[in-house]
Amino acid sequence: MAMKKKRYALVIDSRKCLNCKACVVACKAENKVPVGHFRNRINEERKGEYPTLSINFEPEQCHHCDEPSCVRVCPTGASWQRKDGIVLVNYDECIGCRYCMIACPYDARYFNEEEGVVDKCTFCVQRVDKGEVPACVETCPSKVRVFGDLEDPKSRIRELLATRRYKVKEPQTGNGPQLYYLL
Amino acid sequence: MHETNWGLLIVVYLFLGGLSAGLFFASGLANYLKVDDKPAYARVARMGALLAPWPVAIGSGLLILDLGNWYRFYKLFMHFRWESPMSIGSWLLTAFTVIAFLYLYSWLKEDERTWIFSKIPASWKLIHRLNVDISSWRETLGMIGFPFSIGVGIYTGVLLGAVSSRPFWNTNLVAQMFLFSALSSGAAALLLAMVLDKKNPIEKHETKFLVTLDVVFISLELFIILPYLIHGELSTQAVKQALDLILGGPFTFIFWGPFLFLGLLVPLAIEVYELFPAIFKGREFHGSRNLALTAASLVLIGGFLLRYIFVYAGQMSSFHSKMGLLQ
Repeated sequence: MAMKKKRYALVIDSRKCLNCKACVVACKAENKVPVGHFRNRINEERKGEYPTLSINFEPEQCHHCDEPSCVRVCPTGASWQRKDGIVLVNYDECIGCRYCMIACPYDARYFNEEEGVVDKCTFCVQRVDKGEVPACVETCPSKVRVFGDLEDPKSRIRELLATRRYKVKEPQTGNGPQLYYLL
Repeated sequence: MHETNWGLLIVVYLFLGGLSAGLFFASGLANYLKVDDKPAYARVARMGALLAPWPVAIGSGLLILDLGNWYRFYKLFMHFRWESPMSIGSWLLTAFTVIAFLYLYSWLKEDERTWIFSKIPASWKLIHRLNVDISSWRETLGMIGFPFSIGVGIYTGVLLGAVSSRPFWNTNLVAQMFLFSALSSGAAALLLAMVLDKKNPIEKHETKFLVTLDVVFISLELFIILPYLIHGELSTQAVKQALDLILGGPFTFIFWGPFLFLGLLVPLAIEVYELFPAIFKGREFHGSRNLALTAASLVLIGGFLLRYIFVYAGQMSSFHSKMGLLQ
């Protein structure tokens, strides 16, 4: 029997975000991200002045795009995309030219100076392949992130995207980002 | 998160790559133009041929040093990915460098060749077999090299222009802008070298040829920079914001002052002043040594600054809404 097609994506309900940064720390611990670099971050935005004031927190990481420009520009094919949509870097092929970092509209990549290669969020493939969810998803105390397979009609993210309004960031770059922000 | 990934080495490399392309183009053209079946500017062609391969060779070396893992550069040549401008560019650049060195070799005089091979141990017979006269290939190599030199000139622009996430670069004018800037810096470098070569003083018709070439290329470059600005201002929000970097941002002064005024308009004015009496009044061409030196140096500085501005400003431009950490 042929394997069922998969398309992993992340739904983010940023109104639930407390800016506790547990996701950032969990990611660093899980993926041994070098000091000074992060694979995910929480954007902060302040509107207005006291007393009419609001602050928004918006977690962000690699959008694992449908048409990833980082993969397109890579001269050696080190940046590549799995059939299930996860965008990865093959560290043995990466020459460290950083063209992908420039091509990414979301600034999702960082340069690992020690190894001389580019690195990024992997959706924790090592966990996902075992049937678990990424570390940032698991650790979030307020359940901001929902990870799942868009091809699975019974998945929670399919239900969320069918019943809630959402946006994606900078769709005009044509990358087809797969982080869905609930409104 | 928003940092500069490509720095000064890339700027220098883009400049040197373009310079080689321009030198080769000018040399090839000088060799192609004939008077009574003889190249009219043979000395210009020879000087261009002798200079052309070096900048791109040095530039490629710098590019390799800029990699995170420089010893992995060979992996560029284990793949051909037509969607990646850098992949196409590495092949193009290599082919161009080989052609440029062959072209240089075809311009060496008999005694120069003998001198070079006298430095190689006589036991290396395989290498000594290369000591052949290929001066009859000059024209062929020049013709083969033309499209490659233009390709390299365009490539340095496409490398930036093909990045859809950087609105400052992602217009269809950057490739041509870099090409004409490359060709004009090539002509200027050739003029500079010929004027500085005191053993073989430059002749007036040679100065006139190079100055004319430069005027044409600078004018073309100007006619691309103006639409780049106008079209950008009439474009989408992101492009307008990107242009703010040079129209009221950190790069405004360097763009309008040192680059546009000193690097383009002043040398253009000098060269037009030099050419004007010869073309419109039927008088003799001035051919002032100092003016030629000034104009050529300014053109080279302008060519470098164009790449500096584009590499740095381009990386600062983005579609991404500026959300960051609160202070």
